[in-house]
Amino acid sequence: MDAVFSQLVSLGSSGMLLTGIIVLWRKSLPAYITAYRWQSWLLAAVTATIGYFGGDPQLYWVAVVLVALKGVAIPMLLRAMQRRFGASAETSPYLNTETSLLVAGLLVLFAYVLARPWMMASELPTRQGLPLATALLFVSLFIIVTRKKAITQVIGFLMLENAIALLAAAGTYGVPLLVELGVVLDALMGFLVMQIFVYHIHETFDSIDVEQLTRLKH
Amino acid sequence: MSGFMTSIAQAIVAAGLAPLLVGFIRWLKARLQGRRGAPPWQPYYELRKLFGKEAVVSHTASWLFKATPFVVFGTAVAVASLVPLVLAPPDPFAIGDLFAVVYLLLLGTFFLALAGLDTGSPFGGMGASREMTVVALTEPTVALSIVALALKAGSTSFSQIVTRTIAEPGMALGPGHLLAFASLFIVTLAETGRLPVDNPSTHLELTMIHEAMVLEYSGPYLALVEWGAALKLLIFLALAANLFIPWGIATTLSPSALIVGAATFVVKLAILAVAIAVLETRVAKLRLFRVPELLSASFVLALLAVMSTFLAR
Repeated sequence: MDAVFSQLVSLGSSGMLLTGIIVLWRKSLPAYITAYRWQSWLLAAVTATIGYFGGDPQLYWVAVVLVALKGVAIPMLLRAMQRRFGASAETSPYLNTETSLLVAGLLVLFAYVLARPWMMASELPTRQGLPLATALLFVSLFIIVTRKKAITQVIGFLMLENAIALLAAAGTYGVPLLVELGVVLDALMGFLVMQIFVYHIHETFDSIDVEQLTRLKH
Repeated sequence: MSGFMTSIAQAIVAAGLAPLLVGFIRWLKARLQGRRGAPPWQPYYELRKLFGKEAVVSHTASWLFKATPFVVFGTAVAVASLVPLVLAPPDPFAIGDLFAVVYLLLLGTFFLALAGLDTGSPFGGMGASREMTVVALTEPTVALSIVALALKAGSTSFSQIVTRTIAEPGMALGPGHLLAFASLFIVTLAETGRLPVDNPSTHLELTMIHEAMVLEYSGPYLALVEWGAALKLLIFLALAANLFIPWGIATTLSPSALIVGAATFVVKLAILAVAIAVLETRVAKLRLFRVPELLSASFVLALLAVMSTFLAR
């Protein structure tokens, strides 16, 4: 039973990591939004799995909230943003695709090394998810620092938030519903503030390329 | 001795089946695209026609040009006798090893690239340079994705990997297993010159890779090269099918096990062929400069597979 449990958790966590890596690979905004939606659904699935095998029915509610907010609402808002700016592809990130993918591979390796003592200390069947969640954390930070479009950076931030939620779920069998609600609402607020910022950047500079922000006059 | 005989029998069956596999994919693609298409056994007619024709060899070509088709076909047949197709005997020395197979396949590709350069035609040189660009990225990925399985089985012998996966079915759902499969499938498309890396159904594109290298070949030489390419496709699909989903493969020499093994082998190949036909109908060919992106993505997948089997224990 435990073997199936840990297998499922590590499968879901790897899926989440893969959706993060897809953002580094693809260039179009719709693909990023789809990747984020898949990642949120996988996060909800992992949470529900932990709720089922860990015997904590509260986690089902957490999963429902995750699906409603991160799986449906935020992707819809992202699509609305994309409609407003047109389908502008991420044409020239600071690092080209091949290098970013290889760096992502190294980051995953680093995350495994970093999480090793933690995994040895932990007795939970979900411990296989820990290095993967740490890796997703690094990969989403990497997305934020290497991409130029503000909206891609927002998606990187949202993935970072997913990574922290996965880390909490895998490391501690999930946090209580109340705490999870607080975190999710915080993330939503952060997202809305960023959305307003992106709209302002677009209005002022006619572009959402953050390199334009260094111009003094416009 | 019986292991030796079955290896030879496997190679003969594989060589006989390979043109049918290519024909089946072509026929299915034609159907999916709303054409009637040539029957699946058309490649056999083509091979017979080519074997009956005269071979025209350029004056500037050296012995390498004539030797290459035999090397390509020979290495493909040798590999077909080494990989588990219908039978995976529990004896660890009866059947092939990861490194032998990867490097034998590379040997054929290497000679093909040399032959492309040999005649001095601009297309051959272009094809050879592109093929080397692709192979430099695919070959480590093939080895790495199979190593992800070998690490769990504790051996690089294919039969050990197969018996180990049959013994522990839970392993097949692990992330290492699935990531390695995805990476091997992408590499299969690249290595065997299928879409989205190369277009197998045209000789007249500036971006062709495999066809550019073999453009100077004619007659029996061309037949051997084409047959070798078909066999290579069969070998890769067989590896993907039997290493990752080994159920049904014969582990003993009893006739009933062999029949079940042969039947499941054909079914697995057919499923993968359908997957390739559907994929080739849906995707467009990638620009040549974006091919390394796809291949480095598959390399990272293989790397993740190795990491999740090696480090997460």
